[in-house]
Amino acid sequence: MPVDPVLLLLDATAQALTLLLVASGLAVTFGLVGVINLAHGELLMAGAYTALALDRAGLGFWAGLALAPLFVGLLGLLLDLLVVRRLRERPLDTLLATWAAALVIRQTVVALFGPASHTIQPPIEGSVLVLGAPYPAYRLLVMALALLVTGLLTWLLFATRVGLMIRGTVADRTLAAASGLAVRRLDAAAFAFGAALAGLAGAATAPLLSIDPQMGLGYLLPAFLAVLVAPAGGPVGTAVGAALVGGGESLVSAFASPVVAQLAVLGGAAVLLRRVAGRRAGRER
Amino acid sequence: MSREPLLPALVFWLVLALLPLWAPGWLLGQLAQHLGYGLLAMSLAYLWGQGGLLSFCQALFFGAGAYAYALAGLGRLPLLPESPALGLLLAVAVPTALAALAGLLLVTARVPTGPAWAVLTLVLGVIGERLAVASPFLGGSNGLAGLPPLALPLPGGPLELVDPLPSFLALLLVAGAVQLALARKIAAPSGSLLRAVREDPLRAAHLGIDPVAVRLRAFMLAAAVAGLGGGLFAAQFGFVAPPLLGLGLSTEVLVWVAVGGRGSPLAALVGALLVKTAEGLLGEWLGAGWPLALGLLLLLVVLLFPQGVFGGLLARLARP
Repeated sequence: MPVDPVLLLLDATAQALTLLLVASGLAVTFGLVGVINLAHGELLMAGAYTALALDRAGLGFWAGLALAPLFVGLLGLLLDLLVVRRLRERPLDTLLATWAAALVIRQTVVALFGPASHTIQPPIEGSVLVLGAPYPAYRLLVMALALLVTGLLTWLLFATRVGLMIRGTVADRTLAAASGLAVRRLDAAAFAFGAALAGLAGAATAPLLSIDPQMGLGYLLPAFLAVLVAPAGGPVGTAVGAALVGGGESLVSAFASPVVAQLAVLGGAAVLLRRVAGRRAGRER
Repeated sequence: MSREPLLPALVFWLVLALLPLWAPGWLLGQLAQHLGYGLLAMSLAYLWGQGGLLSFCQALFFGAGAYAYALAGLGRLPLLPESPALGLLLAVAVPTALAALAGLLLVTARVPTGPAWAVLTLVLGVIGERLAVASPFLGGSNGLAGLPPLALPLPGGPLELVDPLPSFLALLLVAGAVQLALARKIAAPSGSLLRAVREDPLRAAHLGIDPVAVRLRAFMLAAAVAGLGGGLFAAQFGFVAPPLLGLGLSTEVLVWVAVGGRGSPLAALVGALLVKTAEGLLGEWLGAGWPLALGLLLLLVVLLFPQGVFGGLLARLARP
């Protein structure tokens, strides 16, 4: 099968940027707040289902894209209040509790929408010529959104007062608290913000995927791998991680079956992760 | 917990052993299957409670044991005869070997027990499930059916473990032996080494303990126990399919162990029996609501009873 190199490159970029959008919320909750939220995939799913519900209600896709971050952000706030903040001193239990929360969210969705899968039509049809190759316009929009979100995150973290406060809390929690920062409130805000980003990403990617109750894990693992293999923290590091995982999967799947590609990328990222985790642990000592 | 109290364990096994005196056959058959799951629960309690290694893919080894039994029992393995007994042997050997391989990826001194470990176990679980579904050799998503039962070579001719009573008694013996062996292992010096590595791998290494070797051994032992459970389960159930090694079952085990008590294999086993029995009673009534109830149960137990319901009780009994 002849493969058009331009299309191949475009597909890889699209997948990497979509993954970047999906992983950006995780980069906040895991990278900054340090909470390993295994329900993150289900938060993304909640965003996708919000878009689906509003689309069905006749409000159109854009309303869903606007409201999903709000709704999922509130869900994140609730999750922080009820679960995450109570387990701050027990990281292993946070894993377990967020995994339980994932199950609860997933089964609630099954109860509300049924176990079958759904689709949403992309809000903008047609394609645009990119370097001579026609490419779906909506995908380009998602790619632009990913870049926009990464840019905004970078600005928020490194150029605003709130960002300074968050970075201060990450660097030294005790000192930040002693300096009068409301660290718990910052945690909650950052966690809810990460959840809101998940909602946005879920809604934005909803027209590209089939929406079903099991989709959370399909989001969670690549996103976590992208954040974990990132050579550095922060939005730019996440971008590199997303490029490695998402772009890698796309490139491999051009030459092999999708199952093989997924397995190859999962395995490859796992090996890479071992090295990165080792290096990080070495640095912390 | 550093020591499993012996008395509650003996009382528990005695009560179970006396059960056939009044319990109906269907209950015994069900309990026999649940004891197979109980072996899986004990393996996770050992790995997680003692080793601090919270695995999200423990069912992978249970399923690997079940598939190994199925393949040997059906005579699908090249060069090997068609033999259920060999299948049971492989049900322990194959998961142990798999754990050694997976351990190369998972168990290093530097990948700590935090996020990377958890995500890697999830990745392993997904890979295992997809491979089983995609492999025609393993029967794909339909799995393998028509497995032969285990047979005990008795003087009066072989006794096939088909009826509920012999199945129950066989599972009771195996699960009891494994529980007592794990209790001994936990109380032994090697159990202390595992807990030392759990508490502080760096300090343990400084004291001359090799954290990688200690964790790898625990990982392999847990896989062997889970695989034994899987093999025995397959022998009774007569059927294996990808859900036996998937993330769904791996999550269920987490619930059993968290509810029972992660610190003690006995408590975890009781948790498995109770939750599975509750599923039998309530599952039909709740229907699709059962997984939701499981999720809520896990959430509540983690928040309110971090030692599990029986773990705390046993720990109190263990105190002198």
